Amino acid sequence: MRVVSELLIEIKQFLSIVIAFAPKFLPAVLKTLELSVVSILLGTLFGLVVVALKLTKLKTLEKITNGYISIVRGTPLLLQLYFIFYGLPLIGLEFSRSTSAIIGLAFHSGAYISEIFRGSINSIHYGQEEAGKALGMSKYQIFIHIILPQAFKRSVPALGNQFIIAVKDSSLASVITITETMLIARQFVAATYNPFPILFIAGVYYYVIITIISRLLRRLERRLSVNER
Amino acid sequence: MKDKVILEINNLHKSFDDLEVLKGIDLSIHEGEVVSIIGGSGSGKSTLLRCINYLEKKTKGEIYFEGRKVESTPKSRNEFRARVGMVFQHFYLFPHKTIINNVMMGPVIVKKKDKRLARESAYRLLEKVGLEEKADVYPDMLSGGQKQRVAIARALAMEPDIMLFDEPTSALDPELVGEVLQVIQRLAKDGMTMMIVTHEMGFAKEVSDKIIFLNEGKVAEIGTPYDIFENPKDERLKSFINSIW
Ligand SMILES: Nc1ncnc2c1ncn2[C@@H]1O[C@H](COP(=O)(O)OP(=O)(O)O)[C@@H](O)[C@H]1O
Ligand SMILES: [Mg+2]
Repeated sequence: MRVVSELLIEIKQFLSIVIAFAPKFLPAVLKTLELSVVSILLGTLFGLVVVALKLTKLKTLEKITNGYISIVRGTPLLLQLYFIFYGLPLIGLEFSRSTSAIIGLAFHSGAYISEIFRGSINSIHYGQEEAGKALGMSKYQIFIHIILPQAFKRSVPALGNQFIIAVKDSSLASVITITETMLIARQFVAATYNPFPILFIAGVYYYVIITIISRLLRRLERRLSVNER
Repeated sequence: MKDKVILEINNLHKSFDDLEVLKGIDLSIHEGEVVSIIGGSGSGKSTLLRCINYLEKKTKGEIYFEGRKVESTPKSRNEFRARVGMVFQHFYLFPHKTIINNVMMGPVIVKKKDKRLARESAYRLLEKVGLEEKADVYPDMLSGGQKQRVAIARALAMEPDIMLFDEPTSALDPELVGEVLQVIQRLAKDGMTMMIVTHEMGFAKEVSDKIIFLNEGKVAEIGTPYDIFENPKDERLKSFINSIW
């Protein structure tokens, strides 16, 4: 009997903290959303530009893009964020905290996204390019009208994964003191001395955001497959 | 009537690294002429068509189109290709476009033709190959024979002066071969200039003005269907015909 009533009291306490603190997360959750969405869009743009540069097959451009990709892949995102926020100002490049975070996150996912695009572009059968050539299309027309639409479709599942990773990676922006979900969670934990309900709230927010993204992606995938049997 | 040379090939050579595949091909194709190319596997038939169309970079030789040398600059190459239709063994339709859009693609993108007009002509071409009902479906929903007919319509949409076919029926189930050959036959009747690589000997005999027997990268024999099938001179042609009938 005593065990049960103690448990009830604890559950009540847990719920009351959750109810009290959940709304207080909202501005930080919005910040998480902002960081993720902007860095995903920007990262996709970077990815496209990088893969386009690579496709020119110009040696110098290829070296630069390869360097970019291997640096991003070869070092932790945490270090990259520190570098942009604390390192770049030393050579006169200073950005606000938010801008630093977005640049860092976009740069990071851009490298992975460009590799996703490259993979799916390479997976398009050479016959597609030849059919375009045979019609008299230029290289550029073939890329825009034949290769890119098919490659984009093929990259959607991998892009989706990358988007989900980007949402989680945005939590690292807390190290340059951006008040996003994880930073606010840490502050609330310090204030309440009660980590469990606070982390629970943060987890639920992430889970909901990511579930919504997954759903949207699945819908996009379905819409893109109208041309399949 | 068939006196105007539309395509002339001079001393065409093609090597892949050390492998010399075409060893000096000379050919003239006249307007309205149907020329079939036969020969064993690996004799260089596809490579010949692909070099004509600059899908392969030739090692040596010249191509003259309507009396003018085709330069290998991108611009001149693309202009030339726009006037040469090509049909591949494996169709290579654009899977992300509906049938009608596959057919419209060339005129709209390369010739900047008005979309509405392009759609109308594309629809007429689909009628011509008997696929107007399939205008709004995607290539994935078609049989092989239907795909190849769409591929022919797509090439025709550019209003080419000559059509190249590389084994247009080799990837098809036997019962679908006929419908594609029929379409090609009708083109021949309409006076389309064509070069056709094929293993369908009966068809070649019936449709061709001229047949070329390619062997080890050279034109081993060239003649009318009668010359080639009833009165072959080249020993390898004789054994090739024996093996295939
Ligand atoms: N891209 C290529 N690279 C190397 N060798 C090739 C290539 N394309 C064709 N070949 C070779 O050239 C020869 C002729 O090929 P092909 O023209 O396809 O013959 P056919 O169409 O008469 O069967 C073959 O020996 C083939 O292996
Ligand atoms: Mg071949």
